Amino acid sequence: MSFDKPVTRRESIKKLLKLWASLGAAGGALSLTLQTPLLAASASENKKFIIEGVGHTEGYSIKTLTRMVFESAGGAGRFVSRGDVVVIKPNLSWARRPEMAATTNPEVLEAVIELCQEAGAKKVRIADHTIHDATRCFALSGAAAIAKKTGADLVHPRASLMKKMSLKGNRLGIWPVFVPLVEADALINLPVAKHHSLSTLTIGMKNWIGGVGGSRYSLHQDINQSIVDLANFFKPTVTLIDAIRIMTKNGPSGGSTAYVTEKNTLILSDDPVAGDASAALLFNSQPQNLGFIRMAREQGLGTFDFQTLARQKVVL
Amino acid sequence: MKIRQLVWLRRTLQALFLIFFLFLVIESRLPQDVYIDYTMAFSADQDLRLDQPVTFFFQLDPLVGVSSLLSGYRLVKGFLWGAGILILTILLGRVFCGFICPFGTIHHAIGNLNPALKGKRMIEANCKSASQKVKYFVLILLLVGAAFGLNAAGLMDPIALLFRSIALAVLPALGAGLRSIFEAMAASDIKILNLASYGAEVLVSPIFGYSQPAYQTAWLIGLIFLVILFLNRIRPRFWCRTLCPLGALLGIFSRMSILNLEKYAEKCTSCNLCIKHCQGAASPRPDQEWETAECLMCFNCFDVCPEDALAFRFAWRPQRNHKPDIGKRAMLGGLAAGISLPLFARLDGRIEKVSDPRLIRPPGSLPEKDFLEICQRCGLCMKICPTNVINPTLAEAGIAGFWTPRLIMTQGYCEYTCTLCGSVCPTGAIRETTAQEKIERPIRIGSAYLDRGRCLPWSGNAPCIVCQEVCPTSPKAIYLKEDTVMTSGAQSLNVQLPFVDLKRCVGCGICENKCPVRGLPAIRTIAAGESRSLSNQILL
Repeated sequence: MSFDKPVTRRESIKKLLKLWASLGAAGGALSLTLQTPLLAASASENKKFIIEGVGHTEGYSIKTLTRMVFESAGGAGRFVSRGDVVVIKPNLSWARRPEMAATTNPEVLEAVIELCQEAGAKKVRIADHTIHDATRCFALSGAAAIAKKTGADLVHPRASLMKKMSLKGNRLGIWPVFVPLVEADALINLPVAKHHSLSTLTIGMKNWIGGVGGSRYSLHQDINQSIVDLANFFKPTVTLIDAIRIMTKNGPSGGSTAYVTEKNTLILSDDPVAGDASAALLFNSQPQNLGFIRMAREQGLGTFDFQTLARQKVVL
Repeated sequence: MKIRQLVWLRRTLQALFLIFFLFLVIESRLPQDVYIDYTMAFSADQDLRLDQPVTFFFQLDPLVGVSSLLSGYRLVKGFLWGAGILILTILLGRVFCGFICPFGTIHHAIGNLNPALKGKRMIEANCKSASQKVKYFVLILLLVGAAFGLNAAGLMDPIALLFRSIALAVLPALGAGLRSIFEAMAASDIKILNLASYGAEVLVSPIFGYSQPAYQTAWLIGLIFLVILFLNRIRPRFWCRTLCPLGALLGIFSRMSILNLEKYAEKCTSCNLCIKHCQGAASPRPDQEWETAECLMCFNCFDVCPEDALAFRFAWRPQRNHKPDIGKRAMLGGLAAGISLPLFARLDGRIEKVSDPRLIRPPGSLPEKDFLEICQRCGLCMKICPTNVINPTLAEAGIAGFWTPRLIMTQGYCEYTCTLCGSVCPTGAIRETTAQEKIERPIRIGSAYLDRGRCLPWSGNAPCIVCQEVCPTSPKAIYLKEDTVMTSGAQSLNVQLPFVDLKRCVGCGICENKCPVRGLPAIRTIAAGESRSLSNQILL
């Protein structure tokens, strides 16, 4: 599929049919999940939601916590329809061991893949354009083991999967985009929350830097607007922020468990700004003090006025 | 054993060893589906290693073992395999050349599939010639040179030469060709070709990799390889007869071989079929004296003789075969060159005086003198490196270090927890290390320095912290200071200025690799500070 060419008639008919089918599926999913209180509230009032899951008990299961968070949103079926190709975008930038908290927690990743599979996903893909060598990042972060265990596809970033597209941003124009992310029927953003030396924090919206190729290290020259432009382009179905372990120093690469604090928290939201803002509070950062969160709200990507959202807390 | 079966046994073994060699070349990379199972040991440091014995043929090659022993006084890992080949040669002659050597098999196949010469001319080409002494000259040069501290055996060793040629030139060239075909398919208007291009990529990427590897001077390696293959048009197995130092070494060891070619002159009709099919130009005709040292033990003569005038027999009584025809000139010339070249190679003073700042060796490399004594220039570290940073040198290491590995940080970088290159080095020129040792000692391969004139924040062009962001050490070796700089419009710009902390920098080069200032990056890496050298240091 090419994205820089005009859509032909045949393709547009195909797309219409697809849309029709997915509307039907969405309707089905809606009726099935109407029982759950939060969804009833948020879906009927067309409200965005944010759910915070916290593991309080000693030795709690991260996978169970992940499931509980999704259940309280109405189940994974709300985001994933039967037959969907689901693409999960974790943050696997560095070839680091999981407990360094430089990469998305493999247990959270595993639980999300299983939830998608149970919701009837035709295919679940894990895709990230990493900074370190991708093979080593996948192997050391635990993602490759999870892919093997769950049968999910691990998409190796490569030049042939980077297609030039217009990001239509304030700052970013034509840019090579990691194709699997835009071809997905459902796109789940699965970042890890950690310290970053330029943007202070890297959470959900900044995770999309791993969705583009090209000379992406020049994005740092206007990092906040670049993050907002990318977050405006990549529209995830839902974002689950992994704050089980957060890196508070020496980010984003970390490299020592001394920089890692256990927060045992997961944040699920369909509002990318609210999700990031909520995670920022775990670092004792005020959302309005973070450039990319403030600018994202100003440019209409979401809100961090939590009162306007359907909000819920899950404790395990 | 029946005659025919022996020839077919040889062909089968040749094919198997060649396939095994090519398989190991292809397997000399990090598999795409490699993983560490964290459910078992969640917090232990684990190193990624290969499953295949990729150094097997280097262990089998006695020239690698002998030259390393002579120059570096080191027994290479698995040297017993090489010793075994020498013992086998003492017993059976050059069976390694005839049955095992993958390079020999390639020459053999090329000569057989499309013989360049016919009839009488082929017979003439297969008669022993004085040029066959050249390989002894090469061997003596290499071994004497090795004893005097210049180990260039890997430049001519058939296993190292073949590995280098296939891994750095042939495979990447094939990959580049296939890739351009797939690109054309992907760009075409025909839908089926579009789809096929995706499938084709999935099929070929396990062999050729997801991205095209780059190796400096690989074109020269490929060209030399083609020329050596082309020499088979002049004479069958030109390389094996005339140039191969390993063949010469094995020839000398075949002197006492108990497997002999027995000749029955009374049966011979001088049809010359034996000579026509002789691979080694070893004078098989009954009225000539058989040259044990030249014989590649292909058993062709035995196979084709219509009169049964030739037979391979075990002679159990102690006896001496025809002496290897080394010749005085090859001996003296080899000695002279072997002594003088190592001395000439020292004239540039690279080891003691002036090392090239760009000569950054892989992590775990021995001190330069020891390194040059045993590095085989085989290219295994270059093939295996996941970031494609390791390249063959041209002049950076002086003439003594031609084609030895060096890191080019604009092409890749040394990944902080990766220790693959040392785990596969056949001779241990790059020592095997662990990620833990690499980080905790730490093993430094060089150091970074800033070019403030090009650096974006320092030069007032833009805020940027990429070098600090990607710095893998903890705490980071690049630190930032907030400051205000003047832009071209005399406006003040708040930036974070990067500084390098040399005490922490390990020289991995990821800062240089990811620096957005292209062409000549604003932060660069040089070898100074490398932990393998006592003198090449900056800090007290």
